[in-house]
Amino acid sequence: MADHSTPNAAGAQTPDLTARQIRRMKRFDNPWRNPKLIWGAGLLLGIVAMGILGRIFWDPDLVFTGSGLTRQPPVGLENLRGQVGTWAHPLGTDGAGRDVLALLIIGAPNSLFVGVLASLIGMSIGIFLGFSAGFIRGRVDDVIRVLSDVMITIPPLLILVVFQAAYGDISLTMMAILIACFVWQSPTRLIRAQVLSMRESGYVQMARLSGASTMHIMFREMMPNLVPYLFGSFIANVTTSIVTAVGLEVLGLGPQRIPTLGRTIYEAINSGALIQNLYWWWGIPTILLALMFIGLLLINLGLDEVSNPRLRKL
Amino acid sequence: MNVLDINDLSIDFPTSKGVVHAVSHFSLSVPKGRRVGFIGESGSGKTTTALAAMRMLAAPGFVAGGSIRLNGVGGTDLLGLSDEEMRRVRLRRISYIPQGAMNSLNPVMRVETQIWDGIVAHEGHVEPGELQRRSREVLAGVGLEPHVGQLYPHELSGGMKQRVCIAIGVCLQPDLIIADEPTSALDVITQRHVMQTLREVQDKIGAGLILIGHDMGLMAQSVDDLAVMRLGELVEFGDVRQILENPRHPYTRELISSVPLVGGDSFLDSTPRAPEVQTDTGAPPLLEFRNVSRRYGAVTALHPMSFRLDGAVPQIISIVGQSGSGKSTMGGLMLGFNTPSTGEVLFKGQDINALGGAAALTFRKEVQAVFQDPYACFNPFYRVNHALKFPFKRFGLARDEAHVTTAMEEACVAVGLDPSLVLNRYPHQLSGGQRQRLIVARALMLSPKLLIADEPVSMVDASLRATILKNIHDLKDKHGISILYITHDLATAYHVSDYVMVLYHGHVVEAGPPKEVIGHPQHAYTRLLIDSIPWPDMDRDWGSAADARADLEELDRISQRPETVYRGDVPGFHLAQA
Repeated sequence: MADHSTPNAAGAQTPDLTARQIRRMKRFDNPWRNPKLIWGAGLLLGIVAMGILGRIFWDPDLVFTGSGLTRQPPVGLENLRGQVGTWAHPLGTDGAGRDVLALLIIGAPNSLFVGVLASLIGMSIGIFLGFSAGFIRGRVDDVIRVLSDVMITIPPLLILVVFQAAYGDISLTMMAILIACFVWQSPTRLIRAQVLSMRESGYVQMARLSGASTMHIMFREMMPNLVPYLFGSFIANVTTSIVTAVGLEVLGLGPQRIPTLGRTIYEAINSGALIQNLYWWWGIPTILLALMFIGLLLINLGLDEVSNPRLRKL
Repeated sequence: MNVLDINDLSIDFPTSKGVVHAVSHFSLSVPKGRRVGFIGESGSGKTTTALAAMRMLAAPGFVAGGSIRLNGVGGTDLLGLSDEEMRRVRLRRISYIPQGAMNSLNPVMRVETQIWDGIVAHEGHVEPGELQRRSREVLAGVGLEPHVGQLYPHELSGGMKQRVCIAIGVCLQPDLIIADEPTSALDVITQRHVMQTLREVQDKIGAGLILIGHDMGLMAQSVDDLAVMRLGELVEFGDVRQILENPRHPYTRELISSVPLVGGDSFLDSTPRAPEVQTDTGAPPLLEFRNVSRRYGAVTALHPMSFRLDGAVPQIISIVGQSGSGKSTMGGLMLGFNTPSTGEVLFKGQDINALGGAAALTFRKEVQAVFQDPYACFNPFYRVNHALKFPFKRFGLARDEAHVTTAMEEACVAVGLDPSLVLNRYPHQLSGGQRQRLIVARALMLSPKLLIADEPVSMVDASLRATILKNIHDLKDKHGISILYITHDLATAYHVSDYVMVLYHGHVVEAGPPKEVIGHPQHAYTRLLIDSIPWPDMDRDWGSAADARADLEELDRISQRPETVYRGDVPGFHLAQA
């Protein structure tokens, strides 16, 4: 409305509604048709699609050492040795001759996978503990609350560094499980708070009057109304998990033999890419990570608007 | 001389489904020193009109036409002022006393600082001593001690907070005061005090007053002129006595007749059945309280009490009291949502807190409830028929899917709803009245032995209250369900109940048949409650603010040593207080 109405919100003057404004208002009839949500989902699906299509149209075996000459630049660029990029390795190669494009095709979905898996496990724990604490209350609540409060104060990266340094190479799934141990606290607290207020609401009381079992009340009456919160919390957790995973990998503590975006950045830094000005080597994975985070952020903002109509603007 | 002239005002709200005309072609003038009431149901546009005069309409609402002229600023159209000019008008010329003063005061500022804020914003720098003097003066004007100025809002009671809001509203002696349901969150006794304070202050500064409300009784006691609004249109305007005694528009008549009066004609047209001769069958009573009390920490919500409801003949027992009297605690105890601190609650001779498995399910089937808030009682995720269908199946009443549908449809028809219009909708698509009637229909479907009705009509528009109470009354008459009616409204309790208990601070202070207890109260508290009800009757005056203050002091005195006045018994119900 900014371009039509006068600045006073009291609406002293009539804002004339253009067709565009009416169309924008119509959008709110279906809250899921939110542009932020659509763009965010599009970005993430793009990364997944890159992983799938890449395996079909590009050779995933190029991720192995010595697939090409070392430290080749992408097409159209030149490295310190004056070599020009070739179409055999469109995004260049790394210090061990691995094809960067293949690394990204395999690595980007891997990073996303770790984030989603860790978040799924964390959310499951959070839903279980949050519902238990909020609904059963009493001792159970005390224990869960203290536990999650204590866990929130422990910096996850510190523990993970110690753990990984002690155990060496681990698989992607193992890493996701380890990260999940540190992302269940905030959904637990969020769900507990929601359940505490919801259990006093009229419809829960009505369900109790109807002789509903605890399970029915928790999962049939309360859960559907929590879906927007759960989604929001899930997406926020995916972000946290990816940040944690990439943080570990950049320190060289992730899986040693599986390509991930963080591992690629680690090797770039480790092989002096910064000094030799091979910026594409660490730059391209960083851009992919940035796109992933922007996608997640947009989804989160979109979900916020879906669950809280007051945030929707004309 | 008019303070405010509203001329042909229209306010529209654009939505995706088209433009909603919140107010259309509304014209009205407020003369100096006169009190004008805006009455109407929710959505009638009364608050929207007042907000337009303050130029505080919520987006996307806008004024589509007309003018609002304020004569204090030379009769200019308020709608044409710049934001800065409008800022100067607010509070100085028109002040607004909001609904729910609880949330309108800044919790981290002292009361007097909040009064000074307004003065400084309009007059620039004022000497601290002068500010102090003026805030004390204005607080004294609303009957508050000077030391109240030093307090924070959380240290004040609801009535005091509302009076602070009035003090802020009148500190610059505006030409017009707009009070938007200033007493809607207060109990009747405090309401009387606050309204009288407002009237006195307004008289003193000679401002015009617009009082927005939905209570015909409050209007009769507070205003000179009354504007009846419906769906954004002014349906009737005139002197309040003329409107009350000789309403012209059918809607006004409907509004007036929907206010139940103590001693007036009953809005229930049922013929009271003579109680059947009771044979003592020796069966355990339907519901029994044995020395039940409930404490929350140091606070005792309910003092030990015992009663026995036989239930052989269906009866309506009313529990009347203000907020905090312990009446909802009693409701919770009866439903087993709350456990007694001492004593036990027995249903058909069994302690309801010690039931297990099948017995607990039977108890749930036989004791049902209607709650206060019809908006919260439906899960927004499901269509409304979920709330009816689920318990019906759960209690094993359903033979098959078709039987469920028939039962739902019959119950809807019985409460006067068209099943095809309501059953397949989502809760937000229904009005509050429709939802509350569906909850009554749900109780009817399950045919319990006992229904706990906790303030079933307090959040429903006045015109629908009578209908819903009639529905509930029918449950007793036609379906043989005993009902415990929990309410703060003495007038409805008078009409529907067979026995009334007046609760005060967790004590029963007066109990007996309604004709005695409410018709001819003996306990000081009951009398005070009845005197504080604003009657829609010009000849029955509320008294002055001094009377109200004296009554409040009387209340403090009796709260020290409550005693119970028994006013006779009805067969099938026995009360004893420890």
